[in-house]
Amino acid sequence: MMNRVTLRKTIISCALLAAALLLAIVSMSLIGSEPLPVRASLCAIASLGSTSCGLTRDQFDILFQIRVPRILLAAAVGGSLATAGAGYQALLRNPLAEPYLLGISNGAAVGTMTALVFFGANEWTRPVLAFTGALLATLAVYRLARGRAGSTPERLILAGVIVTTFLSSVIVFVTTLMDATRIRSFTFWLLGDLSGTSGALLPVAITVAIAGALILTLNARSLNLLMLGERDAFDLGVEVGRVRVVVFVVASLLVGSSVAASGSVGYVGLVVPHLARLSLGSDNRISIPAAALGGAVFVIVADTLARTIIAPRELPVGAITALIGAPLFIYLLKRA
Amino acid sequence: MPARVDRVISLAPNLTEIVFAVGGGDRLVGRTSYCDYPPEAKSVTEVGDTLHPSLERVIALKPQVVLISTASQLEVFTQQLENQNIAVFVTDPHDLEGVFRSIDQIGEILGKKEQASTLVQSLRQRTNAVEQAVKQKPPVRVFYQLSAEPLYTAGHDSFVTDLMRRAGAISVTADIPGAWPKYSSESALASKPEAIILPTGGSMGTGNSKVAEALRQSPAVQQGRVYKIDDDHLVRPGPRAIDGLEEMARALHPDAFK
Repeated sequence: MMNRVTLRKTIISCALLAAALLLAIVSMSLIGSEPLPVRASLCAIASLGSTSCGLTRDQFDILFQIRVPRILLAAAVGGSLATAGAGYQALLRNPLAEPYLLGISNGAAVGTMTALVFFGANEWTRPVLAFTGALLATLAVYRLARGRAGSTPERLILAGVIVTTFLSSVIVFVTTLMDATRIRSFTFWLLGDLSGTSGALLPVAITVAIAGALILTLNARSLNLLMLGERDAFDLGVEVGRVRVVVFVVASLLVGSSVAASGSVGYVGLVVPHLARLSLGSDNRISIPAAALGGAVFVIVADTLARTIIAPRELPVGAITALIGAPLFIYLLKRA
Repeated sequence: MPARVDRVISLAPNLTEIVFAVGGGDRLVGRTSYCDYPPEAKSVTEVGDTLHPSLERVIALKPQVVLISTASQLEVFTQQLENQNIAVFVTDPHDLEGVFRSIDQIGEILGKKEQASTLVQSLRQRTNAVEQAVKQKPPVRVFYQLSAEPLYTAGHDSFVTDLMRRAGAISVTADIPGAWPKYSSESALASKPEAIILPTGGSMGTGNSKVAEALRQSPAVQQGRVYKIDDDHLVRPGPRAIDGLEEMARALHPDAFK
């Protein structure tokens, strides 16, 4: 399937990015609102938490109960959103396709809010309804974008704007009905917030992120052909219908699980795949796994800023990703 | 401000409570959907909630004065009322003295100056009694958990921080800027509070009745010193804040009230 040059390039770039991810996880574990001894922390991390290396009980808990799980969640969320973005961009042949801009994050947010309001106690309903919301929003955007003349990039973005604003109104409507005491936490969460890393959702988010990135990477060759146009891809033997379903379902799962865990973190799905394509080329076999790893690093760094710059107070990570993402995106657009 | 005020609208539950407590309940012609105390308040016309009052309905009720808490941040709204020649009274207490001041001022507006000062006097007496009772006790280091997920607490500008100090406690977040800051879980864990206060059970219902995950191993939890206090007594800077003060002091220093 893959020629030797491409395979080699994929392996080298992914190995480098995986090393960067590992470095980000370890180094960002050393930064936080509570200072921890560096050497002992490194030693404890190297032992994967099996020995305390002289950390006090509290320091150990801060590191392994709070900081590391949050960093791992940041990695899962960043990887998921960047992979989903890369998937949508390839399938819809539109470099602006992004979960946040297409309203898919908002679909997942409406799902999560429904779960919180009606089934608050059952945590597992959050990712399930978030996934459902993301999938419905994806289908809505896709149907709206396909006019009689076929889908144009402008039409797709317009469809995304319509779905986004419509779902934003639904969110405003639901928050207005909610009692005042809960509104503050919801507004924070809607901007993307990783502080509520609850034990139950972390393994789900990590599993979905890894599985999603693998499945989309395995479909990358078909996506490459699809970028030539659906008819040409079909003529070249791509099962267009099947690939479309796979990408929609997997991307919705990725967006659903990350929104359920952290709210709507914007710009990750836009900026990271762009960077990946600019530096590694537009072959999806390289750019999708690279985006997955790069997205993880991006959100880890953004969240470290969010939890440290006004410590011990905190900012929503979505504000940081947008602050970094929007100017970066403008720069990329000008350069491209 | 008109000489005699017969028609007043309150846009916050604590202000509604103050209006009734100074004996001006019969002058209240409008209230928010959150204003549920005293029970008589519920028969007053609703004008929306604190953040989204209906300007049309407010104007249609022809109030002479509208009482606003800055927590509602209604600058444009305030401007519109002033354009209609409706007086606006804004209050934003950061401590118990500020609460007493707003009671006195609302009493003055409603021509109930004496009732207001009698009320403030009795509230001061109760406050002093609490402060006397806990004076000899070593202050307890307390974490105030406004919500668990995400973690919010009371900061420097919150009147609850003053209330805790008077109840014989030191809030571990007393110096954090802002009234209700979002707080780092790491710092919460590292602060090792001896007691945790959960405002819950009132308007909050069963919400906020569990300690945040980061505090599950704290000395407060290990020693069973997690105290649920009616949130309506703690988040509304009105007369019932003194109930909250007494409840906190009794919970934190039970032997001081034998």
